[in-house]
Amino acid sequence: MSKQVVIIGAGPAGLTGAYELNKLGLRSTVLEADDVVGGISRTVNYRGYRFDIGGHRFFSKVPLINELWREILGEDFLDRPRMSRIFYNGKFFDYPLKAANALKNLGPIESMLVGLSYARAKVFPSRDEENFEQWVSNRFGHRLYSIFFKTYTEKVWGIPCTEISADWAAQRIKNLSLTEAVRNALFGSGKSRDGQVITTLIDSFHYPRFGPGQMWERCEKLVNESGNQCVRGVQADRIRHRNGRVEYVVGRSTNGEQIEFAGDHFISSMPIRELIHAFDPPPPDEVLRAADGLRYRDYLTVVLIVNREQMFPDNWIYIHSPEVMMGRIQNYKSWSPDMVPDPRKSSLGLEYFLWDKDDQWTWSDDRLIELGIQECERIKIIGRSEVEDGTVVRMRKAYPIYDQHYQENLAVVRRWLDTIVNIQCVGRNGQHRYNNQDHSMLTAVFAARNIVGERHDVWSVNVEKEYHEEAKVATPAAGERLVPARIIRPEPAAPVPSPDELIEAAFARLDPIALGTAVGTLTGLGLFMATAILLLQHGPRVGENLSLLSHYLLGYKASSWSGAFIGLVEAGIGGFILGYVIAWLHNIGLGRYVSMIRRRAVREEEKEILEKV
Amino acid sequence: MTSRTDPLYEVSHAVARMKAGVLAIIFAVICGGGLFLATVWLLIKGGPRVGEHLNLLSHFFIGYSVSWGGSVVGLFWGALAGAVIGWTLGLIYNSVAGLRTR
Repeated sequence: MSKQVVIIGAGPAGLTGAYELNKLGLRSTVLEADDVVGGISRTVNYRGYRFDIGGHRFFSKVPLINELWREILGEDFLDRPRMSRIFYNGKFFDYPLKAANALKNLGPIESMLVGLSYARAKVFPSRDEENFEQWVSNRFGHRLYSIFFKTYTEKVWGIPCTEISADWAAQRIKNLSLTEAVRNALFGSGKSRDGQVITTLIDSFHYPRFGPGQMWERCEKLVNESGNQCVRGVQADRIRHRNGRVEYVVGRSTNGEQIEFAGDHFISSMPIRELIHAFDPPPPDEVLRAADGLRYRDYLTVVLIVNREQMFPDNWIYIHSPEVMMGRIQNYKSWSPDMVPDPRKSSLGLEYFLWDKDDQWTWSDDRLIELGIQECERIKIIGRSEVEDGTVVRMRKAYPIYDQHYQENLAVVRRWLDTIVNIQCVGRNGQHRYNNQDHSMLTAVFAARNIVGERHDVWSVNVEKEYHEEAKVATPAAGERLVPARIIRPEPAAPVPSPDELIEAAFARLDPIALGTAVGTLTGLGLFMATAILLLQHGPRVGENLSLLSHYLLGYKASSWSGAFIGLVEAGIGGFILGYVIAWLHNIGLGRYVSMIRRRAVREEEKEILEKV
Repeated sequence: MTSRTDPLYEVSHAVARMKAGVLAIIFAVICGGGLFLATVWLLIKGGPRVGEHLNLLSHFFIGYSVSWGGSVVGLFWGALAGAVIGWTLGLIYNSVAGLRTR
């Protein structure tokens, strides 16, 4: 009998899980608490105006995910130009920051102060790099930090930058591996490890014609059509388990009706804190406390429909101006022209990052729309008279919070979850990890494959090394398995090494002992043979010139067999030392060179820190 | 184990292997070409005792002398000796490195 899988949540992770399971020949039931699918990647439709919750660029380094997107959406997947700028002090700054543009907008005096502050940071960096402020200031100078990083970061996370750990910033600028650094240096960051061109973050990205929700509605349709079931409006209330196995999920529909969903395997993308509380019988107190320690940042969007054909070319604008609360403005028409039903109009999404305990969270929609209009007027983006209509979308638990304790709390929760053998956690909130959409999808692909006997660590996705392992597996050849192809009998050929293998080989270290041994053997035997040949020739003045080596080799004589053996030993030792030193110097030189490449790559990464915030 | 402070930290953790064949060709070109050029250079330069010391190589390389004909013989012997040295170097290095990383 076929295994039955119950998936909690119909966001990108949950639906990808169902889609992958179907490919693997397994049936699944997806439970979605909301009346729409897509999770935070949904598209909300208000009077034909579509908007995205947070802006989702479809961009992945994992070929498998790119294939999945194409497979699900087909021709409705647009290639869109990417543009985002920073709005500060009434001016637009290019993002990533460009020196000429920043200097022009800041003016000569401010630019000079920024320059001095940068120089100061370089000469006298903060010795203690404990918080985000110190971390950024050491790299960009305190003045630039105050202008471009402080306000926005604090708006997004609701915590003073001095209370955000420097580790968190360092994690955003990932510790580039040797191969990544070299690959970036050689090809630019837009090349994947298989050498394919990936649409870069700088230039363009993919986007569904009608927003990300279109992807997930299509995915839901495909899942349903293939005999599976995606049930909207059912909240996973209780997860009944016994003897280390989940037996069934008790779902509660919107009218309060309780339904049991039994299964052999379970995949959860619901917030891990709620998941732990849903277990019946409940986990130990220590686990419940740890789960309660996991926090989320909430988020709301005020959407304004504006009577103007073109607003600005950006997909979004970061609002660094401290006089307003909003963090970003989305321009949905720039994401896709089809997001707006009337080409003479535009729609803007004003994003507010909040806690659900904040006053503003409970404000009425009208009051929030009024706030949005006032703030837009204050920064002179639009006039009140241009606003035709508006609406508000609230999204709880949009961002998992990486506070000081989240890692230890998560570890406690995971340890307990490991005792339940037939449930896997996937997705952003399912793993309490700041996953992008592609990471979330990959966790679900892994979870689905685990059910059919493969062994993947779903928690390793978005933890660089293993994530890249998957990328390595997911070569274009792996992606092509989805397309019917003519049988080709390949010519037997040597396996072609990947660019990363070539980089690894090119930057491989020489073994000093091995090179020492090789050079030592050759020099020792070489001298021995040269001496021996001369001795065997029995000339009148045997080895007169070769004997000059006795200046360096103690006791060496080219005129005697004992000298030949002494030469063998001493030249062997000398050769060994020579070979060892050559290998050591080679490795040191290579190390310095790689270090330089890595520093350059990290500097490039740091330019995009705002994106990572 | 390398630590972050180790200058070798950045280098790939893989141990390089040498291609003995390639090394043989490189050494052959350098040694053969080198002896040929050294001989030709002395001949062009001329002088009272042309290549007095280089001539001593004839003890090892049969038929070699500092002459135009000898330069061609030197090219052959130099290349042969270079190839043997290069190939042996690669072979010994790879064997020892292989033993140490096994």
